[in-house]
Parts: sequence; structure tokens; C-alpha cells
Amino acid sequence: MADGSPVAADPPSRVRRRRSGMRRLLQRRSTVGVLFCLPMIVLIGGLVLYPACYALYLAMLNRRMTQFVGLGNFAFLLQRQTFRLVIFQSCLFAVSAVLLKAFFGFILAHLMSNIPSGRQRIWRGLLLVPWVIPLALSTLGWWWLFDPSYSAFNYVLQDLGFAPIPWLGVAWPARLCMITVNVWFGTSFFMIMYLAALKSVPEQLYEAASIDGAGTFQKMFYITVPMIRNIISVTVLYSLIVTFSNFDIVRILTNGGPEDKTHVFATYAFQVGIQSGDIPLGASVSLFMFPLLAVFAYFVLRNVTRRGKEMAL
Amino acid sequence: MVSKVTRRRALKIGAAASALPLVHIRTAGAAGKVSIVFYDAWVPAGNIALKKQVDAFAEKNKVEVQADFLSTANNQIVITENAEAQAKAGHDAYSFATWEAPSHLDDLEPMDDVMARLAPKIGQPNATAAYLAKKDGHWMAVPTSSGAQVKGPCGRISILRDAAGLDVTKMFPASPSSPGLDTWNWDTFLKAAEACAKVGKPFGIGLGTTGDSSDSAGCLFASFGAELVNAKGDLTVRTDAVRQALEYAQRLVKFLPSNAVSYDDASNNRVLISGQSALIFNPPSAWAVAVHDNPPVGADCWHFPPPAGPKGRFVPIAAYFWGVWKFAKNKSAAKDLIEYLSQREQSEERCNATMGYDMPPWPSMMDFKVWETEGPPQGTLYNYPIRPWHKDVPLVSGSPAPPSIGVEIYNRGTMPTMMAKLLSGQSINDVMAWAENELEGFKR
Amino acid sequence: MSGAAAVASVPAPVRRSTMERRRLWALWGSYAALAVFVVTFLVPPYYVLATSLKTDADIAAQVGNPWLIHHVTFQNYIDLFMMPNFRGYFLNSAMIAAVTVSVSMVISVMAAYGLSRLGFKGSAVLGSGVFLTYLIPDSLLFIPLFQVVRMLGLINKVWCLALIYPTLAVPFCTWIMIGYFGSIPKELDEVALIDGAGYLRTLWSIFIPVALPGIIAATIFAFTVSWGEFLYPIAYLYSSDQKVLTVGIAGDLIRGDVFQWGKIMAGCVIAAAPPIVIYAFLMDYYIAGLTAGATKG
Repeated sequence: MADGSPVAADPPSRVRRRRSGMRRLLQRRSTVGVLFCLPMIVLIGGLVLYPACYALYLAMLNRRMTQFVGLGNFAFLLQRQTFRLVIFQSCLFAVSAVLLKAFFGFILAHLMSNIPSGRQRIWRGLLLVPWVIPLALSTLGWWWLFDPSYSAFNYVLQDLGFAPIPWLGVAWPARLCMITVNVWFGTSFFMIMYLAALKSVPEQLYEAASIDGAGTFQKMFYITVPMIRNIISVTVLYSLIVTFSNFDIVRILTNGGPEDKTHVFATYAFQVGIQSGDIPLGASVSLFMFPLLAVFAYFVLRNVTRRGKEMAL
Repeated sequence: MVSKVTRRRALKIGAAASALPLVHIRTAGAAGKVSIVFYDAWVPAGNIALKKQVDAFAEKNKVEVQADFLSTANNQIVITENAEAQAKAGHDAYSFATWEAPSHLDDLEPMDDVMARLAPKIGQPNATAAYLAKKDGHWMAVPTSSGAQVKGPCGRISILRDAAGLDVTKMFPASPSSPGLDTWNWDTFLKAAEACAKVGKPFGIGLGTTGDSSDSAGCLFASFGAELVNAKGDLTVRTDAVRQALEYAQRLVKFLPSNAVSYDDASNNRVLISGQSALIFNPPSAWAVAVHDNPPVGADCWHFPPPAGPKGRFVPIAAYFWGVWKFAKNKSAAKDLIEYLSQREQSEERCNATMGYDMPPWPSMMDFKVWETEGPPQGTLYNYPIRPWHKDVPLVSGSPAPPSIGVEIYNRGTMPTMMAKLLSGQSINDVMAWAENELEGFKR
Repeated sequence: MSGAAAVASVPAPVRRSTMERRRLWALWGSYAALAVFVVTFLVPPYYVLATSLKTDADIAAQVGNPWLIHHVTFQNYIDLFMMPNFRGYFLNSAMIAAVTVSVSMVISVMAAYGLSRLGFKGSAVLGSGVFLTYLIPDSLLFIPLFQVVRMLGLINKVWCLALIYPTLAVPFCTWIMIGYFGSIPKELDEVALIDGAGYLRTLWSIFIPVALPGIIAATIFAFTVSWGEFLYPIAYLYSSDQKVLTVGIAGDLIRGDVFQWGKIMAGCVIAAAPPIVIYAFLMDYYIAGLTAGATKG
């Protein structure tokens, strides 16, 4: 392999000493690796693995938790019209919100890096505001803006002569509101991640490309994106997973309405699970996307490690 | 003696932010410990009164009581309750909201003995308590006044009088007879709704999926005798009673605010307090805040029973229960504590502290003085509790379905959603078909 | 570059000023676009701020322009600061956030180094598996986790959060660091090893400085997650002296169906301020560190 195959033939004694030292080091490498990972293993194993297994087990019980029903809960859910709506809406929100967040975050990071570093601080601070207000509280502020009886947005619309929009009272406007709040909240996160990633792309590459006559977009596609692809992947994956399980936005703004047209997995799980005393069904709803997302995550992360190994060679 | 909502008392509500620290109250005790979760009262004075009573009990019985107050904001009390039930570990006793009790009956200790000891002193509770807390004929939890409420109409006197010609202070005066009962039915209600909508002050009745909306819709359905699921658990959606209720609802929803479908539990409060609505279905919390934030509106509010339908007058309530977990370490002390707190004297003390909001589930307690004296306007709460001459029936929206189905009817807002669908133009048959599909899913 | 061009013949000055003009356009264009974003992003926070400065009566009345404040009042802020609970909530949040960040970063950086550099059998599975923990939403996980926390005796003790929050931050931070470490050439650590540096020293003196932007970003992430987390504190903390800021504000100011809107909005503002201030400075720091030290190749 790359490091470990010693020099062939008869080595002089000094090289022999170095070689055995190297081998000892390399032999220890994997144990050291495990040791470095040990805190994480202990933390995640103790506090997440056991509860997660139990949660998976819960999802396969009947209502009274006396019988194991395997995938019965999932079959039951798929027959429910409301649940099919929930699947559609959750996917709609998650995918569109993540795409928009990634897109806007990317643009913002670029705009930010165009500005001299000295001036950046205040712009960064301002753009971070949405993300740092705890979501459960900022959503209350949004609720006021969309408020059924006295929306601040409608005030402006009416001032300009338009009719007031029932923001949360009709299906599609309500869905757009959810996506908007989600994008508003999460774009800063993408911006921060991209900005940090952009900083780590060596200037020399851009300069070399400029000398070769590359334009802005070419630089972006051939230098930036490949260099920060790992960060993009991990961030998008994380955001996708987390957006799928978002609870507060829907709960506070519409509680799933109108007519269940904004329900997502987490809110539906809460209503049929915790509120209705049927924890196993709630667990099944929460874990519905698990297989799909797990497969997706596996492939994304595998590519990240692979690219990492490639780049380091 | 007029106990007006003086500025100081009004400030008590406004100053809920400077709530007393919710610490473990550890009362000194030699023999044993008992821990209990209480519902964090909407006005802090209620918690203080409860704490005092807990102290008195602990003192008398030499028990150490650890009382925690959990909030309904963000469903904290429900979340923790489920975690404890799953873990089979936690407090000894817990407070259960309306539909939480039936969901956990299997995890609770029978309370027949406590109920038997209370019966000679305060009688039997109303029928909803039995519906929610009895399993196989045994009481599994004790109904309590702490947090229990009536969710009947609270209306603006001046608007109802001027726009709709209904003088609610004369219909339901602060005296032991209500002349308005005979004429107060859903037809009069509809006319009044139309009239108030015309002057831009519609009735703020929600068609969302939160509790307030389920309660008002349930009140309507029940008074037509419309049961979506009967007591045996059969779907009874396609019945004449349901059809009648829906036909009426179809006419009513036209006069409700266009955004009623996105109401949550605080929306109706806000439309009343801001003066934009003539009538809402809510306990006195909305009125009390109005007195503080918008005094002219507050002084113009009156509470009275809901309209009657062909099958009677049903008033939506929210019930609360105190139960002892099966895994509790000190069951006897917990039961004693609950028994002590359920007495009339303690219930009345807490009711006074919450400005008349607490609605005891015991018909024998429907005569507390606080409902006569609270104001302004004085007498506004006189008809808030379920008075004997009202001849109305306390109702838990979703009953008489078996509680495992009723809980979903309530929490999923099936009835207000049916009304919302009527508002959006769907036909009665479509709405019924949708409801049937929904309800099938609740039978698990 | 421009200096050299200045000496050239007549066409050069034209080219130079075009390039500079283009750069200026790019700069001003960036400012303009950023301004648009800032305005859009800050509409709701502005509204929150404005509402926090209104009296309860103004908020309840719902008349007039909601974007303007008719009677400015600082009473909401004063009330919050005077609330004895409030200071406690703030301190708890700050304390837990600090601990979470330190613990998460140490664990993540070490694990990332272990996974990306010191490969061992099963490291790929471990790495992916750790990330999969995000697939169980906390709205479900809290139920079985309650048992674990209870066994540790940490229910209703704010320190339980110091254990739980790292589990939320570590997987993502680890993978971000893996991404950064992966772009560091292997020759660097081999040289260091041959020079006799141990693994820890390599990590400390080579990897961390080079991956500093990633570390700062991950720190910011961990802090934000810890600061804004809502469900676990709601489920596991009930006493006022143990609550953190987010649930303290919600629990004290939302009672039943009564919302103290003015104070809730003031609470939002107060809750948002420390992270913004910290981040604004943190990110400055890594820019300074980057231009000063991190040279690659």
C-alpha cells in the first residue's frame, strides 16, 4: 500500500531501525484512530443509540404497546389520505426549502467574499440575525406578520390598494409561507458554511485561472464548486434531514391546517402520537423517511470520504 | 361587595411575566415524600393559592411534598407526561388535561377510595368526568377544578345589543333565572352572527384544528344530536342529525371571519381584546386580559351559556384530572394530597385566586361567590359556570365516541375542519365522505 | 500589475480603467445585492423589535400602522430584566452553550481526525452511522432518552443539556471537519510523523490551523444549536432555576391562551443579541488567523 511497503533488499541498519519504528507507528495507527473516536462513540452510543433503537422498536408496536406488528403501522399509515398529504407536503417543503437555501446561501457567500474583509463584519452580523433567534420564538413573530385578523403584510398590501391575502387560511399561500419562513431561517446557515469553505480555497488557484483567462462563472464551476463540494454535500444533507423533521414552524403558524394542507411528519406525528395517546403510530410517522434518507446519507457521505481520500493523494 | 378587577389585580395578569420562580416546593416533612405535577395556572395567583394549600397539607401530615408546575405552552405538560408514562418513572401524581386522562388510564392507580370519601362531602362529579376517567366502572383519576374551564360564549354587550338587538345582560342577568334561555337558540345565533358581520364585528369562532375550534364546533354538533362516532364506536357520519348540523354550519360559516380557518387558541382572544369581534367562545382569560389591555372592551364583555339546538343545550368544557401513576412510590400520600385539595374549601380558594376561571366539575360547587362579584362589568361571570337553571349539559367535544377515538376527533379538529370545508365550498356529501375516511383512521 | 501597465503605451490606461471600473461595478453590485438580502431578512426581526417597543394596549388594539411604534416604551425590556427568573435563564443558556461548544468541538475534531486520517476497520460505517443519528427526530427520541437521563439522575437539572446538546452537534461538526481535513495533503502529516511529532501534535499544529475556518464555522453551528434548542429543555426541565432562555421565555410569557406579546418579542431580541455579537467577532478572528498563518502549499 502507499505507506508501509518498506524498501526492498538489504537495508542498512539505520534504515532498518527507521523501518521498524515506522511499522510500529503504523501498527499503532488504527488503535490511535479508535482512541480518537472513542469520546464520540461513547457519547453517541450511550445517549443516542440505545434510545434510537428503542424508538425504532416503538414504531413497530400496536397502539396499546402489547404486540409487535412489524411494519403494520406503516401499512396502516399509507392507507390514510391525510398521511399521503403529509408525505407530499413534507417532501415539498424539504426539497424546495433546501434548494432555495443552498442557492441563496451560495450567492450570499460569494457576494460577501467580494467585499473587503474589513467591511464584512456588519453585513455578516445582519445576515446572521434570522438564524440566531431561536426558531420557536421567531416563528411567533412571523405569525404576527401573517396573523389572520391583522396581518402586518396585509396592512401594506391594502395601503397599496391590493386585496388582503389570507396567508394562512388557504392551502397554497400557507405552504408558501412555511417554505418562506424555513428559507428565511436557514439561508444564513448555508451562507456561513459556504463562506468558511470559500475561505479555504487557495487564492492562487483563482489567480492562476484569471491569468489563463477564466471568467467568473468558469472560475466558480471549475474551481470553487469542486473544492468545496464536500462542504456543500454535508451541509445539504444535514439541512435536508433536519428540514424534514421540522416541527415548530408548522405547529406555530398553522398547526397543520388549513384542512391538513400544511401538515408535515413531525406535526402529524405529534397529533396522532403524543396528543392522541398512540405513541407507536407517532413513532412510525416520525420514522417514515428513515430508510430513504438513510440510503441517501450513506451515498453522500461515502462520496465525501472518497473525495477526501482522492484529494489527499 | 364588588370585587372589581382593580388596577392591582389587572396588573397581576399583566405581570404574569414576573411570575414567581417555579421551584420545587420542598415542604418540611418527617414521614415520606410525595411529588406531583400541577398545571401552571394562567394567572400566577392560582399557583400561589395551590402552593399555600400544598404547604398546609404537608404541615398537617408531616409529608414532604415536591410540587412542580408545568406549562401548557408548547405542550410541556403533555410532553413530560408521555415521557414519564413510557419510562415508568417520574412523579407520583400528575395533572391530566381533558383527553390526556383517557389516554393513560392503564398507567394509573384506581382512585375509587378517594372518590368514595369525597362523595358525602361534595357529591358526584358531572357525567363528563365519568366518561373520561372511568375504566371498567372504576375511577382512575379524580376530576379537579384546577385548570378546568367552561368554553362558552363571551360577547360584547354593546355590539350585540346595537347590531343584533340582543341585550345579553337582560337575557342572562346576574340573578338566579335567565329569561333569555327560551329564545337563545342557533337560529337567533345565526341572525346575530349575520348582523354583527354586517357591521364589521363578526363572531370570532375558529375553524382551525386547535382546542378552541374543536370545542365550539363540538358544541354545535352535539346540540343537533350529531355524533360522528357513537358510544359503541360505530361511524355514524351519514345520519340525519349530522346532516342537519352541517346544513346549519353551511349557513353560519358565511358570517365568520374569512381567516377563521387559521385561528389558533389565542386568535379568538385577540379579536375580542382588540374589539374586532362581537362574540367568541372562550373562558374568562380573554376578558380578563381585555380589562388590562383594552379597558373599554373589557368592561363591555358578558359571559353566558351557548345556544340550544334541537337536542338540547351543550356547553363545551375542558376538564382536568389528578391521577396517581401506577409506578408511584408513595401512593397513599399522593391520594391523601389529592383528596385534601379536592375539598370544597380548597377548590373555592383556588377559584377566587384565578378570578373565577376554574370551573369545578362538581355540581355541588356551582355556587361560589366569586362569580357574582367579579367584574367589571360586575356579574359578567355570573352565568359562566353551569348553573342548575341553565339546564345545559357539560360536553367534551368528541364524546360520546370511545375515548381512544374521541381524542383524535378532538385533537385532529375533525368537526371544525368539516365546517372549514363547507366554507371553502365543498358539498355536504363530500364533507361527510371525507369525515368517514378520516374517522376510519382513528379506529385503531 | 496596474503599475506595470501604467508604463505601457496608449491603449493600456484604457484597459486598466475598464478593469478597475468593472471591479468597482462588481463591488457596488455586491453591496446592492447584499442590501436587498439584508432588507428582506430583517423585515421580521424589525417587526419583532418594533412590537417589543410597543405598549400592551397598542399591541392589543390592532389599529393603525403595525410597522410604526405609536408610543415607544421600554417597559417590556425593563420588566424582563427585572424578572428574577430571566437572569437565571440567561445564565443557564450561556453556561450550557459554552460547555456544549467546548465539548462538541473537542470530540468532533478528534473524531474527524481519527476517521479521516487514522483509518481503522469499520471507520466508514462508524462515520456514516454517527450521521444517521439525525434521522431520528428529537420529537421522537426524547421519549426513550428520558429514561436514560433519568437513570443518570439528571431530569430537571440543566446539566443534562450539557450531555444532550453535544449529541446534536457532534455528527455534523465531525463531518464538516472530515471535509476540511480531507483537503489537507497527506504528505504534510507524513513529514510531521517522520519528524517525530505525535498524532496529537500533528493535529494541533498542522490540521487545526489549516482547517480553522471550518472549526469556527462548526463552533458557530454548535453554539446556535445549543442556544436555540427547544424540545429537550421543555421535556426535561421544569423548575425555574433550571430552565434555559428559550423555554423560560415561552413558559413564563405564554400561559394557557394568554400571550404576553410585547414581552415575548422583547425576549426574542434579548435572546438573539449575544450570538450575533459573538459571531461577528468570532468570524473576524478566523479571518485574521487565516490571513496571518494559514499558508497552503
